[in-house]
Amino acid sequence: MSARTTDALAEAIASEAKRARPSAWAEARRAKALAAFQAGGVPHRRVEDWKYSDLRSALSSPAAVVETAPAPAPFADIAGLRLEIRDGVLRSDLAKLPPTLEACDLSQLDAAPDWVRAQFGAQDAKEMAAASLALMAGGVALRVKSGVAVEEPLQLNFTSSSAHHARVLVVLEDGASLTLLESHDNAAPLANLGVEIVLGEKAQLTHLRLAHSAETAVQVEEVAVSVAAGGAYRLHAADFGAKLSRLEVAIALTGETAEAQLSGVAVTADTRHADVTTRIDHAVGNTHSTQLFKYAAGGHSRTVYQGRITVAEGADGTDSRQTAKALLLSPRAEADLKPELIIFADDVKCAHGAAVGDLDAEALFYLRARGIPEAEARGLLIRAFLEDAVSEIENEALRGAVWSAVEAALARASEAAS
Amino acid sequence: MLEIKDLHVAVDGKEILKGLSLSVQAGQVHAIMGPNGSGKSTLSYVLAGRDGYEITSGSITYKGEDLTAMKPEERAAKGIFLALQYPVEIPGVPTLTFLKTALNSQRRARGESEIDALGMLKLVREKAKSLGVKEEMLKRALNVGFSGGEKKRLEILQMALFEPGLAILDETDSGLDIDALKVVAEGVNALRDPSRAMLVITHYQRLLNYIVPDRIHVLAKGRIVAEGGKELAHELEAKGYAEILKETA
Repeated sequence: MSARTTDALAEAIASEAKRARPSAWAEARRAKALAAFQAGGVPHRRVEDWKYSDLRSALSSPAAVVETAPAPAPFADIAGLRLEIRDGVLRSDLAKLPPTLEACDLSQLDAAPDWVRAQFGAQDAKEMAAASLALMAGGVALRVKSGVAVEEPLQLNFTSSSAHHARVLVVLEDGASLTLLESHDNAAPLANLGVEIVLGEKAQLTHLRLAHSAETAVQVEEVAVSVAAGGAYRLHAADFGAKLSRLEVAIALTGETAEAQLSGVAVTADTRHADVTTRIDHAVGNTHSTQLFKYAAGGHSRTVYQGRITVAEGADGTDSRQTAKALLLSPRAEADLKPELIIFADDVKCAHGAAVGDLDAEALFYLRARGIPEAEARGLLIRAFLEDAVSEIENEALRGAVWSAVEAALARASEAAS
Repeated sequence: MLEIKDLHVAVDGKEILKGLSLSVQAGQVHAIMGPNGSGKSTLSYVLAGRDGYEITSGSITYKGEDLTAMKPEERAAKGIFLALQYPVEIPGVPTLTFLKTALNSQRRARGESEIDALGMLKLVREKAKSLGVKEEMLKRALNVGFSGGEKKRLEILQMALFEPGLAILDETDSGLDIDALKVVAEGVNALRDPSRAMLVITHYQRLLNYIVPDRIHVLAKGRIVAEGGKELAHELEAKGYAEILKETA
């Protein structure tokens, strides 16, 4: 048994990190974040929010870096703007971006413009979000100015092979809009990404995240979003698990008619682990949120969904819906689903549902009795189960990209469990 | 065509069919009537090959082949069709997609050429019209939100598409009003053929006014206890099952 304590692991992570050069304006925030991270340490299963995903355990026994074939770039066929980030550092030329999209390389904090200095790391961060702020190697900040609609989608393609931390900041001013396509191809023992998204009034962000990891990799991403009045944040997250993969999305709906629509699928095989944890805070009334997550777990894999909705006192007219369902494709697969509602207002609509099960035997018999062979019948039913979550993606080409990735993962997940 | 000899079937360890024997020739329509709990649905599920039904002794042969070793999809490809009493709703699977996948799976298994999407639509349209199956139903998820009558009509549409050698209709009349019943019966009668055998399983005599059988078997407590021509149905209606069972005890 390892003699390490939580603090020792946090210290090791901090000392191993290749940090971006310090910059005066950011130092206070980064130092505070480092202190917070080291005080709290790496989360483990006795921390309520991490009870299904023991990050400390996953990081305490790092496997040797395994050479794996790179996953096919999921958005390769999608036209638009592309930025490559490797091991947390931006590798693309920002000059190629259109004038409607301002950007800043976060490994060069000295050169950061005012809008970055105002927002970057401004929110209090804890645990891994604090680590990513303190220890980041780099990243990118993006801004779209008032009323500007960036037509072409922007891809942020992250590839990782060594342990690192990174940060992203996205600022959409009032009335601005952007489509962000985030892809991950991760083989690192720890890839820790902290994302801050600030949406002004009536700003709209469509965010599609597709993450592939090696079975020995650890992927952590914490996304903190604030949505002002009339703003809309739409996220679809497709995850295929890792040694431990955790996507945390915390959304504050701070103005009336602000809305968040989240959907996602996770398809896991072998011994993979995929965790999506969401926190939506309806701080004012007449705000709206929906969540639809569908998981298919095969092999000995484990999928986790935790969704907490908080409705503040006086936030009447809040409408919040949450559905999480998991299909177990093998006897050793596991799903943990935990919806949570903390409601302080009276006049609200909050609906939630969670279910775990295996394929409907009646439906399977019906398809086979009409001639469809068992494996194909199972495939039909699994795809039918995932379909509504993927259909939340409005753009057909993007939906197709997600289905391709889901099909590949299903092929592995559907293999007979050992 | 169908030969069942002294069939014993157990479900969850309890014996439901206790020595059932039945023989149906091609071109014939046989009815199986019986009180609740007699084993009617067990018989239809065993013929279709559903899990959970254990054949403890006896045999089932179809066109001379032993059915019991075949998986449900193999039986379908051989020409066995079971129209369910409660057709299953399958969200997320569009009806037309399902029909095409099923038909092509059967054709593939038989070494026949597969039908393409356009060909399938044409074929389905032809057969759907006479059954009153609306085209927009075909775009919806299989059986989801369909009324009882619509579900039963879709079962008969499938029968028309798959052209089975043996069709088993399990309480096809349940939940139907007279008008729906007539449409379904017409659809079934249109599929009568010298090369096809049908087993109509029903609790009530009413359906048999519309689908007139060549032979009626009365199933009670897991065995065939009485047999006769179509008049037997009227006798049952007049006297009730209890009387007939007493007479044959």
